Amino acid sequence: MSQPSPEVYERGKGMDAHNQVMREIRSRNDASYEPDEPTRVWIDRDNTPDGVLDSLTIVLNTGGCRWARAGGCTMCGYVAESVDGGTVAHEDLLAQIDTALDQERETHDGTCRQVKIYTSGSFLDEREVPAESRQAIAERFGDRDRIVVESLPDFVDREKIADFREQGLETDVAIGLETATDQVRHDCVNKYFDFADFEDACAEAVAAEAGVKAYLLMKPPFLSESETIEDMISSVERCGAVEGCHTVSMNPTNVQRYTMVEQLYFDGGYRPPWLWSVVEVLRETAEEDVTVVSDPVGHGSDRGPHNCGECDDRVQTAIKDFNLRQDSSVFTQVECECERTWDTVCDREKSYSLPLAQ
Amino acid sequence: MTEYFEVIDRDGAARIGDLRLAESITTPALIDDVLTDAGSLWTADRSVPDGDEETLTVLPHRGFPAGTPDEVQTAFDPAVPDIEYPTAAVVTPETAADHGTDAYVLSGGSGLVGHSEAFVDAIVATRESIPPDAGLYLPGVATPGNVATLAYAGVDLFDTDRAVVRGTQGWYLTPDGEFRLDALDELPCACEVCRQGIDEFDREDCLEHNVATLEAELAAVRNRIREGRLRDYLEGQARHEQWLTATFRRLDDQYAYLEQRTPLVRKAEITAASAETLDRVEIQRFAERVTERYRCRFDAPLVLVPCSATKPYSDSQSHGQFQDAIHFRGHVASMTSPIGVVPQELELTYPAQHYDSVVTGRWSETEIEFVVDVLEAYLESNEYPRVIAHVPEDYRAITERVEERLDREFEYTVEAHPTTDESLANLSEALAGKPKYRKRERQHNVIRAIADYQFGAGAGEAIFGDLQVESHYPKLRANDADGEQLAAMVPEYGVLSLTLAGARRWIESDVPTKRVEIGGFVPHGSVLAPGILDADESIRVGDEVVFEGPDAFAVGRANMSGPEMARSSRGIASEVRHVTEK
Repeated sequence: MSQPSPEVYERGKGMDAHNQVMREIRSRNDASYEPDEPTRVWIDRDNTPDGVLDSLTIVLNTGGCRWARAGGCTMCGYVAESVDGGTVAHEDLLAQIDTALDQERETHDGTCRQVKIYTSGSFLDEREVPAESRQAIAERFGDRDRIVVESLPDFVDREKIADFREQGLETDVAIGLETATDQVRHDCVNKYFDFADFEDACAEAVAAEAGVKAYLLMKPPFLSESETIEDMISSVERCGAVEGCHTVSMNPTNVQRYTMVEQLYFDGGYRPPWLWSVVEVLRETAEEDVTVVSDPVGHGSDRGPHNCGECDDRVQTAIKDFNLRQDSSVFTQVECECERTWDTVCDREKSYSLPLAQ
Repeated sequence: MTEYFEVIDRDGAARIGDLRLAESITTPALIDDVLTDAGSLWTADRSVPDGDEETLTVLPHRGFPAGTPDEVQTAFDPAVPDIEYPTAAVVTPETAADHGTDAYVLSGGSGLVGHSEAFVDAIVATRESIPPDAGLYLPGVATPGNVATLAYAGVDLFDTDRAVVRGTQGWYLTPDGEFRLDALDELPCACEVCRQGIDEFDREDCLEHNVATLEAELAAVRNRIREGRLRDYLEGQARHEQWLTATFRRLDDQYAYLEQRTPLVRKAEITAASAETLDRVEIQRFAERVTERYRCRFDAPLVLVPCSATKPYSDSQSHGQFQDAIHFRGHVASMTSPIGVVPQELELTYPAQHYDSVVTGRWSETEIEFVVDVLEAYLESNEYPRVIAHVPEDYRAITERVEERLDREFEYTVEAHPTTDESLANLSEALAGKPKYRKRERQHNVIRAIADYQFGAGAGEAIFGDLQVESHYPKLRANDADGEQLAAMVPEYGVLSLTLAGARRWIESDVPTKRVEIGGFVPHGSVLAPGILDADESIRVGDEVVFEGPDAFAVGRANMSGPEMARSSRGIASEVRHVTEK
């Protein structure tokens, strides 16, 4: 497995500075959370290699991301949603699963065929979720068809994935790659690993007969609109070329609380991406041999990806439609005058003049 | 070293510059078409492009948007390579420094416009950190409404980005604000695209209009700078947007920044039509010098009179009548808004004969308080046996407040109006029996008063101790006891221009001198910035300066401030009037 790990990886002064700033910003947050409650649970529909399935999505509260404790990613506020001070006990983790199952029973007809477990960290990091808990959770969901678990590439290991495969679950590891461009991942996102580590993780997954779903971040701080479009297109292409990576989830940045992105946003130095940019990437990569989906959280709001306020809902609907059908003709249905503004911004915005328009 | 940018003319912090590309561009100007971007280092490592002299190359950069923490800026700020062709470096107020480029791109502008405090802090900090002869480019923010203020603050280079983006959003921009295109009943503009009328006028037309209007506004700004009247324009135009008004007011609070860049004298007239006129450097500086440097040398009662619309005052009919009544038995000082108090010897000295105010006979409290403060300070630093206030009713609010503050009584001589026979008779009567001072005393005192004002307290005696005056007021020549000329009075500005002998007297005196150290050459006509080794910090545009070098001694009038001379590598630093080889 790769060399870097969150504890030892110090990539020079840029990363020191980012971490120092992020620690300070995060320290302004004094909220705390219960260890036996999952952070969030919801049910949605996903485009999987087995077609569109209902998904039970659980954000487990596991004590959170180790990297975020060191400072962490410039846009990520999820650390704020984790338990103070570290590990959550085995019983508490299973209590969280029970709560999620209760919620599923109350709100959904039958069990979802797919389960997705996020932790705002790494489900496969045994300091976050011990092997015992992982195995118990795999068993708990043995009656489903598919499972997705979130992890940093460091912790992706064929032995761990085997716990799910042994239950007969088709398994995907969700990896927050953010971008295939190392420079952007390191300097703008402040995420420590390399694309090569992602490739290694994919190889591990393939060895366990599992798949990988790559999560990309559209528009980290410091990039212009056109730079982020270019970065996303090349990232989708590069992910699609890696064996085992069958799906890319490209997600526009939303301004989360207690993050550096929020500080830039407050001072007028950050605007979330245009929904037109999401459309552009989906359209440009539609022919790639990989499923590309996008879930613009907070669309149409100042803090989320947005266009002019007139067309946001229509464009969002088209994106959702594309997610399920992978057919870029859905985008021919939406038009708006603000496309001209977006086009102008793409043409003119530089890293020293952003954001050129709100 | 700045090679492809040169400052040609100055008006406060605003400048006329020359972006010396293959085809030169007079700034403040739009530079969209001549920019080459070497790219962002956030996304990839970049090599420095081959470049050329046709365009200004923005060197590989990491832009720091508004709100970027200082630690991150420090850690990620890239090294700037030293390149031969025209280049610009991307900076923020935190990272700005002398990088040897011709221009500087200020990152994060979108967080500055609309926020006067942040804007003023950022521009002042950046301008003070980069070389004075380099161009400052503020990308992505210029509009017809704000560009005059941006230039006034010291920005040279702009682009059409914002004007175009706003056009695509259906915003119609003018120097007096921005309007929703769909809310306009008619187009308030005669530019080419607007001539078609509003019916078919769409957003594409709108952005064309926006760009044309921005270009026209920049031409207006350039003309204003050349005339030395940008501030007068701004006091009216900036009213249309609150943050712009706040910006020039806040800049007035940055007195040191503006004062260093404001000339001692100007040809142009000051339009005194707004409350902010009182805060202008020219006004503040005159009041400061009259109360701190000037000293009255007449042994006579003070006669306070109202100012006149005609300048100099002594050319006016009313002042002619006053003078007939006073008949050289009293020392005349004119009271005026916005100048304060003008002693008779300084009536030609800029800006005493270079302003025109709005006269209604109604004084604002701000005007009253300003003149009160100046008159109070004036009377505290000059001892007069008596003060005769020959002023109309509307001046009494001022004089009475000063009487109260100083606990002394003025003598009032006006009945109804200062020029009625009765008032003039009262004035004459008040001075009955007083001796008349001689013409020579008057002329000597003019030279010495101007010397105090121009060179510092006591300069009148220190430089012109043994004085003989030749010729007629206002074209006086000041000679020493042996008849060698020391200085000549310049009637247009009411200042002195020194001869070499006068310059020697100056530098040998205790009065602070404005010296420029030059290299081993003999200057003729002018001194260029690269020839200057060091210059006194206190030098301002229009100041008399003395040049000393291994090969020459010279005197002239400064075209740059001292800090600008010392830090510039291009441009005419000073005219040279007289020079002698060593």
